Amino acid sequence: MRVDLLPTEGGGTYRFVIILLAICGILISSLPVIVVTIMSFSAADNTGFPPEALSLRWYSEVIAMFTTEDANSAQSVVSSTITSLVVAVIVMVISTGVCIPLAYVLARGDRRIRSGMELLFTLPLVFPLVILGIAFLLIAESLRLDIGIWRIIIPHVALVLPFVLRNCLSAMSGISLEVEEAAVSLGASPLRAIWDIVIPMMKAGILAGLIFALIISFNEFTITFFMYTVDVSTLPIWMYSRTVSSLDPSTLALSVFIIVADVVLIVLVDKLIAGRASLF
Amino acid sequence: MSLQLTKSKALAFSLPALIAILPFLGACFYIFRFSISGEQSRIEGFSIQPYVDLMTPYFGRTVWLTLRLAFIATILAMLMAVPLAFLLTSLRSPFARRSLTIVILLPLILNLLVQAYGWILLLGPSGVLNSTLRSFGIIERPIFLLFNETGVLLGLVQTSLPLAVFPIVSSVRGISREHLEAASSLGASHWRIFFDVTVPLLRPGLFGAASIVFAFNASAFAIPLLLGGRRVQMMGIAIRDMISPLFNWSGAAAAGMILIFVTMITMLFAAWLARITSEKVER
Repeated sequence: MRVDLLPTEGGGTYRFVIILLAICGILISSLPVIVVTIMSFSAADNTGFPPEALSLRWYSEVIAMFTTEDANSAQSVVSSTITSLVVAVIVMVISTGVCIPLAYVLARGDRRIRSGMELLFTLPLVFPLVILGIAFLLIAESLRLDIGIWRIIIPHVALVLPFVLRNCLSAMSGISLEVEEAAVSLGASPLRAIWDIVIPMMKAGILAGLIFALIISFNEFTITFFMYTVDVSTLPIWMYSRTVSSLDPSTLALSVFIIVADVVLIVLVDKLIAGRASLF
Repeated sequence: MSLQLTKSKALAFSLPALIAILPFLGACFYIFRFSISGEQSRIEGFSIQPYVDLMTPYFGRTVWLTLRLAFIATILAMLMAVPLAFLLTSLRSPFARRSLTIVILLPLILNLLVQAYGWILLLGPSGVLNSTLRSFGIIERPIFLLFNETGVLLGLVQTSLPLAVFPIVSSVRGISREHLEAASSLGASHWRIFFDVTVPLLRPGLFGAASIVFAFNASAFAIPLLLGGRRVQMMGIAIRDMISPLFNWSGAAAAGMILIFVTMITMLFAAWLARITSEKVER
């Protein structure tokens, strides 16, 4: 007889309870996103449920928001979206750029140093985001730093390092020293061997790290909430300031764009690391 | 041979990453230094006054509320995470597995505002739940589930669920089916196997996942800000209030240190609990 954690037949109350709780979990995870998606197609001005008629008017409104640039407002949706994207791309490039050589050294080096460094680079993950936001704010304010967009980039880099390093490390794990030795014995310099042999072999992990950094930075709210200024503000902050008093359906349509982008990117990451490593 | 990892090469390769994490370490140090500052708005001298000033019934209530909500949310998240992990590991079709992974992972990654909008649409006074209940005539006046502890609790469970599910999935993968088959062939029921075999085998993973979820929930900021209104003063919100209207920077830093301390104690306690309970099993 086959025994499983989730019995496929029989199992009585056990199976029933397990399935019921799992369904609760799925509903709690997905209902908010589903409702936002449904309501974004509403034709009404308010957010009453169920929508009486369906339309795409809020989507055309979002597109109009992006195409008719309001030059007067410093915090327009266009400029905060651009800031968000620029920040996310720079964060992605920097974090991956610094993690690839580190992952190489950690994979080839001393085991004890490796576990110590891994611990150090996991810290930003468990450190409370509010405190991080406040700490960076205190530094920037009391030192009177005027560093423009970097006041958001620097904390974001720290935040994504754990995810990127983990992806790069798991990409390094399958690459033995022999492939490098082979390249060197054929006349390549050690650096050339890394550049031409090791890095192409790490490609999937590097890409997964890049995308992870992009998603996390683009969706980050808490630290940015403390660090944003009138000139440097991101899309989540713009959405917050717009909806702090009431919720209007065009923001929901904008949210659906973000949901779709996130889902596509997560599917990509999942495909890239398919089964080789866990997401965390 | 030249491929040997020399000290200078190792240093040169890890230097960029160390520089990238330096601001984070600086921030950790800065918040500590600020919390023992003699002045409220700048670092000057040493004093424990910021900590003494926090010893008020008001801040005590905030700490208690934070611990209570984080604890309840952790229990609820764990109750759903274990079945979800079972489901995720027993799904055969790769498509179903991938879809479920994305459904669970999305709340952690997705912009928290979008999720807050979802809860407002679901539970708000004219939201899905209230209008459905009203149309069936079950209630006459809308029930308030938002901008109070219920709303915050739901949001916390939702956003911390992925942090619980994925570590448990990896410990579930580590359970050998032979244990289960042995128990079953000796006549144990499904419930008996679950409590006497599965849970003890999963225990270290369960405590690990629970402590991460608890730490995450205790330091939540965006969820209580967006779903709690002004009424649910969790520590994250209280700290923000010290910064923004009050300009009590050293007080905020001290409150932050207390929050870090509380989460660290909890994680150590969970690790200790995992150790002593697993020793009991071995005996």
